Amino acid sequence: MGPVPRTLELFYDVLSPYSWLGFEILCRYQNIWNINLQLRPSFIGGIMKDSGNKAPALIPRKAQYMANDIKVLRQHVQVPIQFPKDFFSVILEKGSLSAMRFLTAVNLEHPEMLENVSRELWMRIWSRAAEKAGMSAEQAQGLLEKSSTSKVKNQLKETTDAACRYGAFGLPITVAHVDGQTHMVFGSDRMELLAYLLGEKWMGPVPPAVNARL
Amino acid sequence: MGPVPRTLELFYDVLSPYSWLGFEILCRYQNIWNINLQLRPSFIGGIMKDSGNKAPALIPRKAQYMANDIKVLRQHVQVPIQFPKDFFSVILEKGSLSAMRFLTAVNLEHPEMLENVSRELWMRIWSRDEDITQPQSILAAAEKAGMSAEQAQGLLEKSSTSKVKNQLKETTDAACRYGAFGLPITVAHVDGQTHMVFGSDRMELLAYLLGEKWMGPVPPAVNARL
Repeated sequence: MGPVPRTLELFYDVLSPYSWLGFEILCRYQNIWNINLQLRPSFIGGIMKDSGNKAPALIPRKAQYMANDIKVLRQHVQVPIQFPKDFFSVILEKGSLSAMRFLTAVNLEHPEMLENVSRELWMRIWSRAAEKAGMSAEQAQGLLEKSSTSKVKNQLKETTDAACRYGAFGLPITVAHVDGQTHMVFGSDRMELLAYLLGEKWMGPVPPAVNARL
Repeated sequence: MGPVPRTLELFYDVLSPYSWLGFEILCRYQNIWNINLQLRPSFIGGIMKDSGNKAPALIPRKAQYMANDIKVLRQHVQVPIQFPKDFFSVILEKGSLSAMRFLTAVNLEHPEMLENVSRELWMRIWSRDEDITQPQSILAAAEKAGMSAEQAQGLLEKSSTSKVKNQLKETTDAACRYGAFGLPITVAHVDGQTHMVFGSDRMELLAYLLGEKWMGPVPPAVNARL
């Protein structure tokens, strides 16, 4: 048996477009690098509040930059991401609390489904193309009910607090546990740096699948 | 003769650590990629004011993140960058106006020296924790970059003329018109299109936009064009 896989915790919120990009990149690398990817559904609203930071979209030039950036990253990272027409009502008004509570419930009851259901939610918010995540209507309904229990609400709060204790001022953050040390990297554009910290090879945001571990 | 080099404009301020990292990476690639790197000394204070943004250091967790980030990037990018002891005083109080006016004067009179003098100013503030606001500090950086004391003194005097002050303002305004809310920004002119990328961590994306090969922040020198 080879060396113990290093744990990477990805704290994310489906409201965050860069979370989706970071998520897809790490999902690709989880079968290439010697890592154990742990998905941590978090609430970006809580992180903003706790850190004293504000959503970048509130600065007009940052909103403009993000709109262009997402267009370029769509091609570069090969994720069908697109700014929703009603951007401000999506980001600033609708928010993501129910969605992230739902994902917290999924993580508690059916963690093996978390990756797919997270992707499905991103597709709904950040892409025109939506696919089915493979969850039965009953399963989904059951989880939806569980989403509003104290257990799930508290779990989301705890995960969000954990991100804050790692120093998060936004999402996504990736926390790498390497040789007894903890490294937190912010953003989806720091994966090359993450590779450096892990001593792994960076092959761009779309690594060749042929390198996948069998 | 090969295809026309693509112009890359790097807008930077020596107060900005990420500007230094972006600068060094692009200086390495200017002899590898088919680019024409144009350095644009700018004033980050002016950009923050114009965009309504605030220095990241004002959010405690961002300041903490930057401190760690710079430590890791020091190794990864191989630049001797180090946080000054009194970070807040250096960034938020002392600032960079005289230094950037000086670099503007250098760019007007001796553009071939701009790269070296910029680097020496960064080495003072972001490597050796030395002042860059006093005239003698700026002169020391210029001389270390290879300028004579006379040349440096002459440029220092020119720094306070309207011509130089206005030029710095114009360059900063140009960055704002490209959409800057901070520095560094790199503006790539490719096939009649203009792309602005923010930060020193987007160079791989820049390579993608240029259709060039990304070989990490420390590309092998053996690939340099002769």
